[in-house]
Amino acid sequence: MEKYENLPAADAALDITDAVCPITFVRAKAALEEMEAGAVLALRMNDGEPVQNVPRSVKEEGHRILKLADNEDGTYTLFVRKVEEA
Amino acid sequence: MVAPEESMKIIVGGKFKDYPEGLRLSALIRQENVETPEYVTVALNDDFVEAAAFDEIALKEGDSVEFLYFMGGGGE
Amino acid sequence: MSFSNEQLERYSRHIILKEIGIKGQKKLSAASVLIIGAGGLGAPAALYLAAAGVGRIGIADADRVDLSNLQRQIIHGTNDLGKEKAESAAESMRAVNPETRVETHVCFVSAANIGALIAGYDFVLDGTDNFPAKFLINDACVLAKKPFSHAGIIRFRGQLMTYVPGAGPCYRCAFKEPPPPDAVPTCSQAGVVGAMAGVIGSLQAMEAVKYFTGAGELLTGALLTYDALAQEFRKIRLPRREACGVCGSNPTITAPFDYPGAVCEVAP
Repeated sequence: MEKYENLPAADAALDITDAVCPITFVRAKAALEEMEAGAVLALRMNDGEPVQNVPRSVKEEGHRILKLADNEDGTYTLFVRKVEEA
Repeated sequence: MVAPEESMKIIVGGKFKDYPEGLRLSALIRQENVETPEYVTVALNDDFVEAAAFDEIALKEGDSVEFLYFMGGGGE
Repeated sequence: MSFSNEQLERYSRHIILKEIGIKGQKKLSAASVLIIGAGGLGAPAALYLAAAGVGRIGIADADRVDLSNLQRQIIHGTNDLGKEKAESAAESMRAVNPETRVETHVCFVSAANIGALIAGYDFVLDGTDNFPAKFLINDACVLAKKPFSHAGIIRFRGQLMTYVPGAGPCYRCAFKEPPPPDAVPTCSQAGVVGAMAGVIGSLQAMEAVKYFTGAGELLTGALLTYDALAQEFRKIRLPRREACGVCGSNPTITAPFDYPGAVCEVAP
């Protein structure tokens, strides 16, 4: 259980496990845009292509990646802190 | 036509060209075979030149001349 | 307002772009464009702007679709022959994107109606085929402080520029007065490659998208010319003309006016 205690506190959550590229990132980008600067988004995504691309794209937008947690069910949760005017 | 004593490089429509020094703008318009020359807009070194001055202006080394043409199509 | 998942998908390729993103897409949704002329230039511009999710698009044209139009006016199809161009264009635009509100104006622009027409829109796109109309649109937009895109095409050549109030010259700065009727060839007399309308009309749509989203630099103070035979684009710097009749320091034109022969270009 220890790894769950280390997870950052999230202000909002979004599940993009039902989407494929590029909609995964588009929905993440839309969610981040509606949040306050400094707020944390917990983004649940599938292993494979999403986990390879979405963190990189989010980072390229200037947001801060806090943690990528393996949910051990074929999905990951990415914790992102929104940076304003990225 | 007498061979020019001196030639100069000017830029016409973005391209370097050799012409005799002191060439009048009106002569350049003829030599460049400008289409419908009576309706062309001329910009010399990023300033518009009035048509009345075409005969008076002598071009100098390094001058940049642009011809702007009417293009009326697009709808119909 | 936030986008639905369907909208996020429709506009995903814009939203991914850093220069547009959700913010830029919302600006497009809130934007309105008047396209004057549903012909060669207006056709691709109208389709791209509708597809781009511009919230409201007006399309003004009094003509009907003719067989000789179809070589370049890709917004109309063979089944549209005889239909009002504005209506035919609106059908195609709605088919591309039902979210865009399309308003049709079945009329030629004139000094009498242009003020009211452009007042209802944020940006104007000149897709007309004759000089009197082009000067009328320029004057009306300058006087109303309305940004607009000017363009013209002929044979294998095309050009465009963008006017934004307070930033750079207007069309009249460069071209002063329309040439006398028939002094300069038009497309119906001289011909034009269909794809030329596609290139230049699409560039006009690009200017509108950039104007609304603030991405990059507009063609203000510049004339972009395209020579298809040489396959060459050139961006020519355009100065302002202090003595310009409409935007100069002592303007003589204080209201839009019609030049005679505004509708003489229609092929027999």
